[in-house]
This record gives sequence, C-alpha cells and structure tokens, in this order.
Amino acid sequence: MLIIACVKQVPDTSDVKVDSATGTLVREGVPAVMNPFDQFALEEGVRLRDAAGEGAEIVALSMGPPQARSALMKALALGADRAILLTDRAFAGADTWATSYTLARAVGALGKIDLIMCGLQAVDGDTAQTGPEMAQHLRLPQVTYAERVTLDGKTLTVKRQTDTGYEIVEVRMPALLTCTPPADFVPSTPPFSAIIKAKKKPYEEWGAEKINTDADKLGLKGSPTQVKRVFSPPKRGQGVMLEGNSAAAVAGELFQVLAKGGVL
Amino acid sequence: MITYEFSEEQEMLRQSVREWAAKNLTPRVQEMEKNKEIPPDLIKSMAKMELLCPTVDPEYGGSGFDAVTAGIVGEELGRADYTASVPVFYLVQASWAHVFDKYGTRECKLKHIPPATKGDAFIGIATTEPGIGSDLANMVTTITPNGDKYVVNGEKNYISGVREVKQYGGGHVTLARQNLRAGTRGMTMFFLPLGLPGIDITEDEEMGREAISTGGFHISNVEIPKENIIGKEEKGFYIVHEGYEFARAIIACVCCGAAMKSLENGIKYIKERNAFGRAIAKYEGIQFPLAEHYTRISMLRDFTYKALHMIDLEQEGKASRMEVSKTVAMVKMFCATWAMQAIDDVMQWQGAFGYNKECPDQAAYRAVRSFTLAEGSKEIMKTIVARELLGKEFITYR
Ligand SMILES: Cc1cc2nc3c(=O)[nH]c(=O)nc-3n(C[C@H](O)[C@H](O)[C@H](O)COP(=O)(O)OP(=O)(O)OC[C@H]3O[C@@H](n4cnc5c(N)ncnc54)[C@H](O)[C@@H]3O)c2cc1C
Repeated sequence: MLIIACVKQVPDTSDVKVDSATGTLVREGVPAVMNPFDQFALEEGVRLRDAAGEGAEIVALSMGPPQARSALMKALALGADRAILLTDRAFAGADTWATSYTLARAVGALGKIDLIMCGLQAVDGDTAQTGPEMAQHLRLPQVTYAERVTLDGKTLTVKRQTDTGYEIVEVRMPALLTCTPPADFVPSTPPFSAIIKAKKKPYEEWGAEKINTDADKLGLKGSPTQVKRVFSPPKRGQGVMLEGNSAAAVAGELFQVLAKGGVL
Repeated sequence: MITYEFSEEQEMLRQSVREWAAKNLTPRVQEMEKNKEIPPDLIKSMAKMELLCPTVDPEYGGSGFDAVTAGIVGEELGRADYTASVPVFYLVQASWAHVFDKYGTRECKLKHIPPATKGDAFIGIATTEPGIGSDLANMVTTITPNGDKYVVNGEKNYISGVREVKQYGGGHVTLARQNLRAGTRGMTMFFLPLGLPGIDITEDEEMGREAISTGGFHISNVEIPKENIIGKEEKGFYIVHEGYEFARAIIACVCCGAAMKSLENGIKYIKERNAFGRAIAKYEGIQFPLAEHYTRISMLRDFTYKALHMIDLEQEGKASRMEVSKTVAMVKMFCATWAMQAIDDVMQWQGAFGYNKECPDQAAYRAVRSFTLAEGSKEIMKTIVARELLGKEFITYR
C-alpha cells in the first residue's frame, strides 16, 4: 500500500499579524510550521500505514520553496518513510489550481498509489480547494472533512464531519481524503530518536523536469485566480444573547429579530 | 576557519521543543506558580520526547545528546517557563545524571537512571550545607566505610528538587568527606536515594522558581551500598566539577532564553504603549537599552554555545579540563546578571504593570536571580578565571 501525505509549510498563525495598511499577512519574522491540518492527515496516514502492515509505505509530498524542507523533515520524524519536495522557480506564484495540478503530476510520477491524505485546508489561505482539485486532476474519488479512517482490505471507512454531525462513508481505494482533526486531537511531538532517524530517511527535491508537466499550467502562469484585494473583515458587532424559559419562546423571539432585520 | 551553525537535527529539536512548549508548557505556568508544582504529565511528556537526562547512554534510557544539544533544550525551556521551574528540573537532572552516567557503577545506574529518564524519579545534586556553599573543603557531612557498606552523616541545605524526590522517588548525587584530614582531596561522591531511613527532609520558601522545590535534609546514620559510590573513593572533588560545569553552561542557556523572551515581550509592549503622543519605542531612552541588552545577550548566547562545544570537545580529548572550566566560568559569571538587567529594563518599560504579579517578567527576574548562586556563585566564577590567568599560586585561600 502506498500512501501520499500532502504537507504544506505555513506561517505560524498563532503568531501572525495582518498589516493594517495593506491587509496582507506579515510573514517576516513569523516562524514557519507544518500546516496543522496536514499534521493530522499525516498522523492518520502513518496509523493506516502501520495498520496495513508489511510493505506499506507513506510518502510526504510538498510543493514550496527550499525552506519547506523543514516541514518535510518533521513529516519524516513523525513517521513518513520518505519525502519529496517539489521546488522550482517555475512553480512560484501558484494558486490552488496550479498547485493541485503540480502535486497531481508528482503523484502520477510515483506510479500506482492507494491513498492521498491531505489536510482540509491550509491555515494561511483557508481555501480547502487543493485537495479536492487534486482528486479531480487524478480522477480519484474523494472524501472531505475526514476525522477518522479505518482500513479493511481495499475499502476505507471514513467518519466525516458535516454541518449537523457525522456521516460514515465507505470508499474504495485509490482515493483522496481531506482531513480535519477531532476536537481532542493532540499533535504528536517527535521524540529525539525519531528526529535523528528522519535525517537518515530518503529525501528528494524534484524540479518541473522531473514530473512531466505542461509548462503553461505551472506557477503564476497556470493560475486562473486573480486576487483583487486582501483585507481583514470588519470587526463584527457584539452578539445578542436571547434568553427565555422555553425553546419555543426563544425561537419566537429569534423570529421577531430576524423578521425585523429583514432577514426573513 | 570557524564553522558556526547548528546541525539540522539540532534545529529540528529546537523547533520541536519550541512548538511543544508553546502549546503545553507556557499556558500552564500560571497554574504551576499557583500550585507550586510541575504537573506530572508535563514531565511525562518531556520523557516521551526523550529530553530527560538526555546525555545519558541509551542503555540506561538516555538519548546520548552532546552538551550543545542539551543546551538547546535548556534555552527553549528558559524561553517558555518564566518561573524557570521546568528549566531547573531539566538542567539539574541532566547535569548530574551526566556525571552519574559517566562515573557510576552499572548496578546503581540500572537501578536509578531509567526511572528518571521515564519521568518517574528526579536526580539532583547535594553539596551545599548550612555552614558552607562555595567552600566545599569545609563541609561537615561524612561518609565512612563500614564492612561492605558506607554510613553517611551530616546535613545538606538549599538543595533543589527535594520535594520532587519525595513525590516521585530518586535521590541526589552527594558529596561528603571521607578522609577528614585531606580537605578536598578526601571527598567521595555517591548517589543518595532520599527515601532511605535516617533522612529527614525539610522545605524552604524561595523568592522565585515557584514550581520546583528547594530544601534540605538531615542525614543520620544512613547506610548506602558500595555500588552507590560514584567514581573513585576520595576523588569526588575532581569529578564534581564536571557536573557543575555542565550545569553552569546550561544555566547560561536558560538565562539567554529567559532574557530573549523577556526582550521580545518588551518589544511588543513598547511598540503598543503610547506616552506623550507616540509609542514609547520611539524614545531613545527606551531604544538604547533595548539595543544594548539584545547585543549583550546575543554575545553571551554565542559564547555559551562555545562553552558547551568545549565540553563536547573535552569528551573527545580535544580540550583540557582547565580550558573548559575557564570558558564555562566566563559565561556563568555574567549570565544571570545580564539577564536580570535586561529583564529589569523590560519590567521598567511596562511601568506599574511590570511590578504586578500578573507580569511574567517579574517572575522571570526572581527566577533568574537564583542563577547568580546556584551551581556556583558569580564571584567564585571570577576566582576560577583569575586562577587560570594568574596560576595556582595566586589562589586567595592558599
Ligand atoms: C535557588 C537555589 C537552589 C540551589 N540548589 C542547590 C542544589 O540543588 N544543590 C546544592 O548543592 N546547592 C544548591 N544551591 C546552593 C548554591 O550552590 C550555593 O548558594 C552557592 O554555591 C554559594 O554558596 P553559599 O550560599 O553557601 O554562599 P557562601 O559560599 O557562603 O558565599 C557567600 C558569599 O561570599 C562570596 N564568596 C565566597 N567565597 C568567595 C571568594 N573566594 N571570593 C569572593 N567572594 C566569595 C560568594 O560568592 C557569596 O556571594 C542552591 C542555591 C539557590 C539559591
């Protein structure tokens, strides 16, 4: 079984500030970390690899500047068997479409794969598009918002979050999952011995020539997204708490408020 | 040429410890201060990361870190815990397990080191007594051979981690006089489990480092087996310095971490705080001390890693004992004072809030103050450097 875990290096959002003049993220001096959703997806992938037994392998895959190596080294320390960084000037400026195209071509270059594990979204962009687009490029079935995955032969049982609760779905591999951690997920910190081992695992850097791509579909050139303006949304006003003796009374009050506001 | 960079593994470890500490340690420091305890799950979590007694041979549960790598962890913990309690737990144990591992007997190590690496015991150091601290030659605690056992009598005080040993188990690497006529040349080092009959522990109230205890113990006719002797009998004074030096260098890392973190707190504050129509960061009266502290702590930090590197070189036979002593003394001489001065200014920039118990920097100030004394006073560091520069015949007390 071959699992691909997609990993993105992002600025540590717990530390990030927005430039009040330009509305963009101030990245200088902000430490880079592995996208937290990706860490969860990777840890689930490592668990599935271990469950699959002998011969199963998990490859961490990232596209980014050379510094993104450190996110992949962390992936190796967390249990990935090998890592590939897609890094090339031609990839620069990619939106989610060009990124997913590039990642998909790299997956194609890896041969027959069984499962792709992506984080739900990257915390520096929050689009949640790259995973699903990759599935589209590769013509793979996808399950989004996966929280828990179990493996039975070629079939995965996925518990996925929905707006109202959970859904349990089955999907046959090969497939792509985008993952989001349950509330009680505690990201692992690799022990020192795993850090030492990580350094000894196979790590490669691939440029555009390595993955058989159409140059027009890469980087800025291959990105249909045009960013018009980035801004911090205006601060919302204080919320209103409706209190009442019964659900019906509160619902009635809520109806009044919504009606008055022209929402209904 | 000098190559001056950490290895990729060391950078990864630093990042790992920093991320762990930001999520798991810093948010709990207030609770630790209040409960006067390091939560046991935090110690367990450090054990899982293989950070406890890190230089110890993997056979006894350690990770085989070199000194530089151990210092990186100290610096990160110093940044994260402004009471320095977790850093003290870490560094005291790391330093004395280091000596214990190097010179202890196999039986004793197998019994006492693995529990400490798993977070189920604490290993400390006990040299100081009510009557002496710097002047080891005049200690009163004695160790006397008696058949195939040894009997210990005396008293130790201002000892870190006594409550932790009561709580978890473990003990202290201890120094006592065996040949009473020989001064420092007659001292023996041994491992003293504090759970033995005849040991009576008391606790002190310190001005800082709330979550780790300091206290003392009376030792009355306590029997220990021969296997607990560390190194050769009557040669304890020579090896005790290896532990001190290791600890002193890591203390300097902790001071650098604490001071840099405090300066970062200060930078944030002075940019946001306005007085007389502008951010106080605009005033040179604030900028100049900031620039000076940052420069001084950066230089100290570089020299501290040099000292740690020398400790590693000594293990490979590439640096002499005396060079190591001197270099370490140079960093330990100033680390606490410079860190305190930096933190003091950060407190000052924060005005009345800097003097408030809610302000982490005042806790850091009180914590760092201990390092002007613990593991060797800053004055004694000066006597070491002077001794190396002038020669032994100029030692004051000879
Ligand atoms: C918080 C804390 C934790 C500690 N934890 C431990 C521990 O775990 N284990 C342990 O064994 N000890 C511990 N100590 C004790 C510490 O090692 C001693 O405080 C230190 O060695 C100094 O000894 P002293 O306090 O007896 O001072 P003294 O040796 O009595 O010295 C008093 C003063 O005179 C100065 N002085 C002494 N000799 C000279 C000289 N020749 N020239 C110039 N000045 C001199 C000293 O620098 C000091 O300022 C701890 C201390 C503190 C504050």
